[in-house]
Amino acid sequence: MILTLTHFLVLAAILFAIGVFGALTRRNAIGILMSLELIFNAVNINLVAVSRFVTPGDIPGQIFTIFIIAVAAAESVLGLAIILAIYKKRATVNADEMNLMKW
Amino acid sequence: MIETILFYAFAILIVVAGILTVTSKNIFHSALYLAAALFGVAGIYVLLQAFFLAAVQVLVYIGAVVVLTIFVINLTKGITGKNVPLVNKQVLPGIIVSLMTAALIILALLKTGGFDMIAGSDTGAGNTALIGNLLLKDYVVPFEVVSVLLLAALIGAIVIVSRDKEGEK
Repeated sequence: MILTLTHFLVLAAILFAIGVFGALTRRNAIGILMSLELIFNAVNINLVAVSRFVTPGDIPGQIFTIFIIAVAAAESVLGLAIILAIYKKRATVNADEMNLMKW
Repeated sequence: MIETILFYAFAILIVVAGILTVTSKNIFHSALYLAAALFGVAGIYVLLQAFFLAAVQVLVYIGAVVVLTIFVINLTKGITGKNVPLVNKQVLPGIIVSLMTAALIILALLKTGGFDMIAGSDTGAGNTALIGNLLLKDYVVPFEVVSVLLLAALIGAIVIVSRDKEGEK
């Protein structure tokens, strides 16, 4: 049995669905951020796999993935900083208790 | 053949660790399972002959993002104890939506067809040199933009966190 592109795309789809489930059901804002990391990784697997199978020898997908990793790191840093600031101010990290701007 | 075995090993690691990440009762364990899942993704990158990306994945995700997450979990420890429920009331809709998402993507993939191509005989040698050349020649503008973005995120995080309770410096 030989690996095809479908294997990698199905794996990425499953990982994406797991991340969506976590982002929908976690109360803890840190848990939501971790689920977002899973979703980013699913997308990265897709990009690298398509780059490897469709354009062998040329690697635009890997370059995209490097930029996604950099932006995801920045997003993670800012998200965690905001969570810490909210925790200092309101003593909670639960997303369903952050309702200050809810009408 | 060995590639197929490794693929399934890493895939099982990713899926099991991912499910434990989103369902674990303890948010700290959840972060550790996240590190395992990200390590599995690094293994998948090696199988795809993206060696530089595998190293970046381990360094940036496991070395920086997961460690940062664990720090924040420890700083907010008092409210993430055993008795605090970690999931909201949307578990059943969440299961339905995520299963339907996966089914939609996979069915679209299988119905479309044409994705059953086999990788070429590229060995991935010189992968890091190729990436370095591309980043500093063809993609030098986005590279610089990302460095400015990272600097802005760094300064922003310091400013947001360094305020104390009264909102003063």
